[in-house]
Amino acid sequence: MTRFECLKAIAAKVGDALVVCSAGGATTDWYHLRPSEGNFRSRTLGLVSSIGLGLALSLPDRKVIVLDGDGSALMNLCGLPTAAFAAPGNLIHIVFDNRVYESSAASVTATAGPTDLVAVARGAGFPRAVWAGSVDEFARAVTDALAGSQLTFIGVRVELGRPDLPPITMDDVENKYRFVRHIEQLEGRAIFGTSYPDA
Amino acid sequence: MTTGADLVADAMLEAGIDFVATLPDWNLGRLIERIEKEPRWKQVRLCREEEGVGICAGAYLAGKKPALVMQNGGLMNSVNGLVTTSLQFEIPTLLLIYYAGDINTRFFSTVGHMTEPVLNALGIRYFILREREGVTKIVTGAAVSAWDSRRPVAVLLNRDFLRGEG
Repeated sequence: MTRFECLKAIAAKVGDALVVCSAGGATTDWYHLRPSEGNFRSRTLGLVSSIGLGLALSLPDRKVIVLDGDGSALMNLCGLPTAAFAAPGNLIHIVFDNRVYESSAASVTATAGPTDLVAVARGAGFPRAVWAGSVDEFARAVTDALAGSQLTFIGVRVELGRPDLPPITMDDVENKYRFVRHIEQLEGRAIFGTSYPDA
Repeated sequence: MTTGADLVADAMLEAGIDFVATLPDWNLGRLIERIEKEPRWKQVRLCREEEGVGICAGAYLAGKKPALVMQNGGLMNSVNGLVTTSLQFEIPTLLLIYYAGDINTRFFSTVGHMTEPVLNALGIRYFILREREGVTKIVTGAAVSAWDSRRPVAVLLNRDFLRGEG
């Protein structure tokens, strides 16, 4: 099972959910499979789940999906109890666990050893934390989470590798503006250019 | 009697802050107590400060005006996030930082020595509150500076100022 197959299975099912991608290979796969102004690529390893948490808490009526990797999730493990404590029911944290730092010369991560990220999420207090054992199971877990209202963590063990896709040419700041303009449209309110405090 | 911490909390409201990520320091106790009690603020309790940079960034993208309340040791923990999320994407955040090791405070002198050099190296503008005068202007001004420049701006909070009553 590959990450690309998993993402392909959900690309048409996420509707207008906002999707935040990790600073890793999942971004190229996802931007190719689901081109949308509602995608945001993070650049700080680990912070994808935190950016997703801030979005989910601030937009409680909108679904937010985090596409994370094992290396990134391991770097921000403390984000799991923070998310569980805040417990936004509209946040779905997906981790593709290939047991290596794929974007960093593929040396192994702690999940190549005994570490079980779903058990970590459960221990951190996620009300729902599951491993998906197949592409179908993964797609079902995601659609269930989208239909429900429970903070969810989905782990999926995938083999190493990514398809040969052209790189994303969008600049980071351009991604920010397009993403926020998209949220403005969805929400029907201004975000940029709103009133500042008086100085 | 209001402490300096109360003045900061009032000024944050004045500045339009509506989302606050916090990690405590003993000297931030009163400020965080005010944050917990304020219904106009969404509070997120952090386990490590750098995640607060990401959480505040997400809140900003959704239209919030976020502040990150932490100790200066937490500023050191947050540097990669501040560089590759806040500065790289031009995302403003108001940083309210307890200034451990500031003049006339004991302990943490090493982090005190490094605080302003680190902010300067990051190109993060900062203001220091050591007196009760002008708190509202400095906090609201720092927020305006952050949002106008689309960068984090810091306010360093001295211990005697935070705890002193007036």
